[in-house]
Amino acid sequence: MNDDLHTLSGAYALNALPHRDQGLFEEHLARCEACADEVRGLRETAARLAAGVAEPPPLALKRRVLAEIAQVRQEPPRPVRTERANVVPLAPRWRSRLAVGLAAASVAAAVTVGVVAVNTVQQRDRTLEETQQLLAATQNLLAAPDAVVRRVPMTGGGGATIVLSPHQGKLMFASDMPGLPSDQTYQMWLIGPTGIHSAGLVDGGGGVRTATLAVPGEAERFGVTVEPAGGSRQPTTTPILLTKLA
Amino acid sequence: MLAAGRGPGLEELLGEVARGDEAAFERFYDRVSGQVFGLIRRVLRDRAQAEEVAQEVLVEIWRTAARFDPGRGSALSWVLTMAHRRAVDRVRSAQAATDREERAARLDNDVAYDQVAEAVTTRLEGERVRRCLDGLTDLQRQAVTMAYYGGYSYPEVAGLLKVPLGTVKTRMRDGLVRLRDCMGVDK
Repeated sequence: MNDDLHTLSGAYALNALPHRDQGLFEEHLARCEACADEVRGLRETAARLAAGVAEPPPLALKRRVLAEIAQVRQEPPRPVRTERANVVPLAPRWRSRLAVGLAAASVAAAVTVGVVAVNTVQQRDRTLEETQQLLAATQNLLAAPDAVVRRVPMTGGGGATIVLSPHQGKLMFASDMPGLPSDQTYQMWLIGPTGIHSAGLVDGGGGVRTATLAVPGEAERFGVTVEPAGGSRQPTTTPILLTKLA
Repeated sequence: MLAAGRGPGLEELLGEVARGDEAAFERFYDRVSGQVFGLIRRVLRDRAQAEEVAQEVLVEIWRTAARFDPGRGSALSWVLTMAHRRAVDRVRSAQAATDREERAARLDNDVAYDQVAEAVTTRLEGERVRRCLDGLTDLQRQAVTMAYYGGYSYPEVAGLLKVPLGTVKTRMRDGLVRLRDCMGVDK
């Protein structure tokens, strides 16, 4: 266990980590069960601090909230298996390049099926040709000799599968994502020495989403945030996913 | 509101909310809204903004109730973590740099944690919190309360208190650990 990271558990439980550290710590948390236990206890403790500042909200707030929920669809529960994935780290680090050929080959078969299903359901309007092109690009990426496959946890549960080929300069992102209110969207970011650059939006309607994007050589990190519909020029919320690319 | 922290059934109530029971949601609202609103208001200070963020959080509880996992903590902790995070996000994203400086300057003058300690004493359910806060060292208490009630990140706390980063993150952790033991929170 990394002692330096481990001492961040208090700051994390107090939501006092800057965005960058928060992503790092959450990566750590997904792999360290003892840390997750500690954070749970510290969070419970922090929550008790709220008892000291409780204050009755205005009655109008209750009316507004009750009126709003009558029009808000609830999310379904997560499948049990996904739930456990938050607690038990399944995520390997970036695999060694030697292992990658094998990994990519075995994953390719499984993922391709998923990609086809996703595309036919979600992108019904795409022409067959476009779908085939997308599929070919995906297969190409998965089969790249330098491709690495990685599972990354996301804040709020679940995770994303990321396939990266530095040689092709491409990254594929795939995740079963919770639905967002209609005025919000997911936005992907690439972070490097020249700053944070938008890498495109991901529809916040909920369900399995995939995206393939070009990754310039100098990009160091990949992140996903929740932004107002239409996206933002720079991230305005804490990333739900943040991971190193190298 | 008094029973929010220890009343039995907040988890069960949330289960009913997850099944779409609006009446259960109303009962849940009555139990947690005081802490949700109070905490957000403490962090944001601005009443109108606090109402807005509290509304978002309370609707979010309805929307994502089915995603609550009792294995990962209590319902109250789930709700307040969400509330605190939203409040902190609002502080950090919406405010321009000058605002932050202004806020920091204000903090220098009015010393948030003393105010908090005072506010806490006026409330019955806060007595234990206050007693436990009193049991911390000054630096532990400052680090914890500035982060939690003030919404400051640990580098900001370090800057304001003029102590090294490493010291602040350690004090946040050992301060919370001491509070945890004092409050008898399950580990």
